[in-house]
Amino acid sequence: MELFTPELGLIFWMFLSFAVLFIVLWKFAWPVIIKGIDGRADLIDKGVEYAQNAKEQLDHAREEADKYIADARRQQAEMLREADRMKTQIIEEARGAAQKEAQKVMDAAKVSIEQARKEAEQNFRNEVSSFALDIASKVVRNRLADDKAQTKLVNTLLDEIENKN
Amino acid sequence: MMILLSTVIAPSRVSASEDGELKIKETIFHHLGDGYGWEVPFSHHHRIPLPVIVRDNDGDWHCFSSSRVAHGEVYDGFYIAEGGGYNGKIVGRDADGVEYRPLDLSITKNVLALFISMAVVCACVFSVARWYRRNGYKAPRKCVGAIESLIAFVYEGVIKSTLKENARRFAPYLLTVFFFIFVMNLLGLIVIFPGGANLTGNIAVTMVLAVMTFLVTNIFGTKHYWKDVFWPDVPIWLKFPIPIMPIIEVFGMFTKPAALTVRLFANMMGGHMIVIVLTMLIFIFAPMGAAVTGATTVVSVIFSIFMLLIDVLVSFIQAYVFTMLSTIFISLAQENPHHDETQMIENKL
Repeated sequence: MELFTPELGLIFWMFLSFAVLFIVLWKFAWPVIIKGIDGRADLIDKGVEYAQNAKEQLDHAREEADKYIADARRQQAEMLREADRMKTQIIEEARGAAQKEAQKVMDAAKVSIEQARKEAEQNFRNEVSSFALDIASKVVRNRLADDKAQTKLVNTLLDEIENKN
Repeated sequence: MMILLSTVIAPSRVSASEDGELKIKETIFHHLGDGYGWEVPFSHHHRIPLPVIVRDNDGDWHCFSSSRVAHGEVYDGFYIAEGGGYNGKIVGRDADGVEYRPLDLSITKNVLALFISMAVVCACVFSVARWYRRNGYKAPRKCVGAIESLIAFVYEGVIKSTLKENARRFAPYLLTVFFFIFVMNLLGLIVIFPGGANLTGNIAVTMVLAVMTFLVTNIFGTKHYWKDVFWPDVPIWLKFPIPIMPIIEVFGMFTKPAALTVRLFANMMGGHMIVIVLTMLIFIFAPMGAAVTGATTVVSVIFSIFMLLIDVLVSFIQAYVFTMLSTIFISLAQENPHHDETQMIENKL
């Protein structure tokens, strides 16, 4: 049966054509195509991955931003509180220092006032004693003349002292 | 279609009425077989002449047009045998007058169809290659896109998924096989020139393809593959002293390409044969009167068209199956010691 007996001529040509076809396509066509297909598949894979990452990052970005804002608020509040605390502390300190200074000044004033008062007292006493001596000397001098005159003299002297003061 | 059939009826009716079934059988096998000229529609007398290249017993080459021997003439001592062992082949007579078959490398119908298929495959594949050279990773559209998607279908679906990291190494061979078979199958379904040659339904063609797969499988086979052939992991008494398993394995090496050969050949030849037989039915019923012939014609034509459409599907499936099995055979020979996987693929088969 002819159908089942391979013809030598056809085998020869088939082998030759297939070999030629294979070599030509292998050298010039398939590598380019396979590289293209594989490359594109990789490119698409990478693109999808990139898009997924981007979406994830975008979703996270919202959260992260919220987190940052909350953080910032918290820090702000903390700083305000700190500032408040420092303000009170500074005021407290200033007040303390001022009091101390005032105390010092007042003490010094007191001391000087006391001194002045003592000096004045001393002066006054000295003067009073000298006046008293004067008066006493004048009274003693006029005693002998007139009682009325003596009284009048004493009054006059007292008036003088009063006016002096 | 009707016109075509009715024109064929005229010369056939004469032969049919002379010696009935014998002629029908001859016609069928004539259409399935090879020839030294290419039939043209509407004429049984004229053929497209093709070059005949033969080497006689003295070692001299003869080359002449097939039209010189087309109608039983003798040219240069060669003629086409009628009947006998060399029916329909170019034969010569040696010095003693005994008929002999010269070494025949003629460009027959099948060989020319082979060249045409080659050209079509080249045109298709190079259109895609040119696209990729020019456009980089951009996806092609229209015709080129269709071919590219077919390439991607076979490459991604069969080759890459089976061969994994070896895919790039064997893809050129396997893709060439797929497209060559696919184009040959489809061209065979076109009734008139440049199609109509029953190429993949010819055992010589499928045998060469299967031998190619056999060579690729065994030349690139790994050490593990050869160890599995000659010293498989079976109880020792199965391989020594009588090497039962190695014999079976070696036998299996050769049955694989044989199965490939016969599968493609039988499928494609069967498809062609059914269509021809359906058409021949018209001539078988022709002597029974106009009504019967008419009815048979309608039914035959409808069935022929149906079968041809199925053959389009079969063309693709057979090309796909051949490629897939070749891929699996190659991947089995590429196995490195992963036993489960080998077992799995073998179970699938």
